[in-house]
Order: sequence, then C-alpha cells, then structure tokens
Amino acid sequence: MIGAYLDLARLHAPLLTLLVPLCGAALAFLLPGRLAWGVGVVAAFATAFLGVDAVARALLEAAPLTGTIEGVLLYADGIAIFAAALVAVAMAFLMLGAGAFVRDFPAPIAGLAIALVLCAGAGWIGAVFARDLLGVFAAIEFAWLASVGVLALSSDRGALNGASRMFVAGGMSSALFLLGAALVHRGVGGTDLATLPSVHIDAPGLAAAGIGLVLLSVALKAGIAPLNFWIGAAYGRAGRLAVLVLGAIGASGALCVLVRLASFALPAPAIGEGVSITLATLGAVSVVIGSVQAVGARNVLRLAAYAGAAQAGVALLCAALGSPAGFAAALVQMFAMLVATLALLGGVTFGAGGAEKFDALDGLGRRAPLASAAITAAAISLMGAPLTIGFLGRWRLVEAESAPAGGGRRGR
Amino acid sequence: MVIDPIVARLLLAVAVAMLMLGAVTAWTSTNFIKRVAGLLVASLGALCSAAALSAPASLLVVGIAVAFAQLVIGVALGVRLQEAYGGAEAAEFDAADDANEPAEPKA
Repeated sequence: MIGAYLDLARLHAPLLTLLVPLCGAALAFLLPGRLAWGVGVVAAFATAFLGVDAVARALLEAAPLTGTIEGVLLYADGIAIFAAALVAVAMAFLMLGAGAFVRDFPAPIAGLAIALVLCAGAGWIGAVFARDLLGVFAAIEFAWLASVGVLALSSDRGALNGASRMFVAGGMSSALFLLGAALVHRGVGGTDLATLPSVHIDAPGLAAAGIGLVLLSVALKAGIAPLNFWIGAAYGRAGRLAVLVLGAIGASGALCVLVRLASFALPAPAIGEGVSITLATLGAVSVVIGSVQAVGARNVLRLAAYAGAAQAGVALLCAALGSPAGFAAALVQMFAMLVATLALLGGVTFGAGGAEKFDALDGLGRRAPLASAAITAAAISLMGAPLTIGFLGRWRLVEAESAPAGGGRRGR
Repeated sequence: MVIDPIVARLLLAVAVAMLMLGAVTAWTSTNFIKRVAGLLVASLGALCSAAALSAPASLLVVGIAVAFAQLVIGVALGVRLQEAYGGAEAAEFDAADDANEPAEPKA
C-alpha cells in the first residue's frame, strides 16, 4: 500500500515539488514563529527528498521521468530535474538554518517570512519545470516578489533600500520578459518550450530578438554582470535570512532557469547560433566584471554576490557550447556555485553572527572553527583550486570545449 | 477584427517607446514613487506591445496580474521607506545607509 503511494508520488514528483512548499507556506503563514519554522523544515525536506529521488531515478533507471507531466503544465527533462533538486536542497538547508533567524523578525511576521522563503523556492522550482514561457514568466515573478518580501521584512532599514533596488530591477526585467515572450510567440507561432528545438520558425529575426530579451531578463534576475546593478545594495544590506534566500535560492534558481531556457533555444537551427554568441558574451563579461567587483568589495556578503556573478558567468560559458557535455559542465558549475555560496554565506551569517565586514572575521578560527573552515573551503572552491568542486566545474568546461563536435549542437 | 499591418506596427512602435520610457524613468529617477510609476508605464508598454504582437490572451492576463502585484508591492515598499527614512528619495536612503558603511569602488 505504502509502496503504491510512493510510486504515485514519484510519478507526479514535479507537481509535488511545487505543491509541497506552497502548502507548507500556507500553513506556515497561519502559525506562530517556531511552529511555522517546523512546518517549513518538514515541507522543505519533503521537497528536497522528492527532488533528489527524481535525480537518482534519472541517473540510475533506464527510463527516467521525462516528458510532459500533468497535461500541458510541466515538462520534465534532465536539466529541469537536476535544477529543481538543486533549488530544493538549497531550500532545505536554508530552512534548517532559519531556526536561528526566526528571532530576527517580530513575532507576528516570523511565519510570513518562513512562508515567503517557501514561496520563493516553489517559484523557482516551478520556473524550471514550466513547459512554456507563460509558466516560466508567472513562476519567476512569483519567486522574485517573494524574495523582495523576505528582504523587506528584515529588521534593518537598510534592507528596505536593498529591497527597493531589487524591486525596480525585477520590474524592468518582467517588462522585458513579457515583450520577449510576445516576440517569441509571433516569431515561432507559440510559446511552448518543448517544441522550440524542432518547430519551423517563420520569423527567425523576431524569435531571436524575443529569446534574447527573455535571456537578458532572467540574467538580470540571476545577477549576471553587468546587469547586477541591484545586487550590491540587496546583499550588502539584507538581513541574515534574506541574504541566504537571495544567494542560495534566488541566484541559483535564476541561473538554472537561464541554462534550461538556453537548452531549448540552442538546438533550434534558426536562432541557436545567435543564442550561443549572446550567452558566451554575457558569460565572459560576467566573469571579468564580477571578478573585478569582488576584488573591490569591502563587505563579505557583497563579495559573495560579485563572486557569484563570476561563477554564473562560467556556467553560461559552459551552456553556450550547446553540447550535452557543455550542459553537464554547466550543471556541475551550478552545483559548485551553490555549495560555495551556502558555505560562504552560511559561515558568515552563523559563525560571524552576520558581521559582514572583513575585519570582523579576525580571530574567527578561534571563535567559530566550523564557520571559519566553511568560509575558507568556499573561498578555495570559488578560486577553482584542485580537489574542490569549483575545480571540477572548470575542468568539465575545458573537457566540453575540447571534445570533438560529434554531430553539432544538441541541447537536450 | 483585422488590424491594418501599418496600424499594428505603429501601435507596436508606440508601445515599445512606452516601455523604454518607463524603464528609463525607473532606472534614472531618484524618487522611489516615480520609479514605481515608471515601472507601471513600462509594464503597460510591454502589455500593449504583446497585444500588438497578437500574443495569447493568457499571456496578457498573467502580465496584467504581475503588473498589479508589482504596483501593490511597490506602493507598500514606498510607504515603508517613507516611514523608515522620512522620504522617498534614493539619495537620502543611500546617504543614511552609507553613514554606517564605506563606499565601494564601482567596477
């Protein structure tokens, strides 16, 4: 009996990874702080379990869960399954640690903060599973506005300033996305992503412009340099929970959506070349500008944001190759980015008590050895030093770049 | 109803101009309320562009819902900023925040 229910849950895993955090958010909203946190932890870990189980099946089973799920609503493919698991696991770790931050919020809004974190996670998961641009648009906006809400709830008034910058950036991004989706619809004859690689494109120019606008819009939300004008204010002035939401769920989720959209657009013969050039240019520029910004940062949280832009640039360079090896390298890079971000931001927010100035880290090794070790490991991984996951991401990029062409660009 | 292609293109041009105007206002204005108004204009421009491009009704409905949500959250943020800083000018916010934090070099 239980086995049958488990099989049923596995069959509808993409829908459940959306619904579980949303139901958890509704419940957390109604409960007081600690109880809301408990519900949040259960919902986040259930989502992570579903996500990791789907990844395990995709890797181990001969016939993994792919294709259209739940009618025309969702579409599961390798990148979506991996990306959803990535966001879900990040949300689970974040929610586990959020217990320490519940006291940062006044009692009446602690439940709301937990609910918004779950909504942000559900939104990004929905965006990576969405079958068409309409679903991607709705899910992204849901996640983004939830993230703005978490930031605005922080007790420090500086967070409000950060939230206002983030809000304005998100509004501009959504207008661009809407125009881009309409152009894609006009050029391709629909907004269905799953058919984009094979459909005959009537107006390649319109379609290419539309996809370009959509990618730029999501890149702005992913904090890709130089479109990351909002990120310094948002990270630097965010509360402890908000900075983890922005770094672990927001940046990773947006990057996953970007790579997935690229995986549909790159194989389309009429627009693939242009998309590849756009992604490669954006990636290279982000690596350079993000690194320069990180060198100039005087605040650990901002440093994490700028270094994240550089890491995201590497993932875009991987995806721009358009080959299966390139997308595999992008997934490894995204995983490396998430681990480093969680370790760095987690180390600062937990170990250093949110003290984000560099001089506040003096003597951290004695005061909080674990946090110090996490920050050090994250920094080494961000450098791409050997024996770290960051190095593996770069290595896979080099391998993908030097691999023989073998049949040209294939995104799926 | 069939719209003349020339009229449709004219509509699209006006709508895109509206979007750009709103985006520039949101980008450059120092007053948060003006930024929200700019975003609203940009969203309206995007919606009109989508309509001129014969986008499906579902996309327009979602676009309207998102624009409305942004307006509500923008106004709420504006009220909270006014309460916290006593104004709506971004320069005032930055000055108040930068008093506790040194500026960073721009890349």
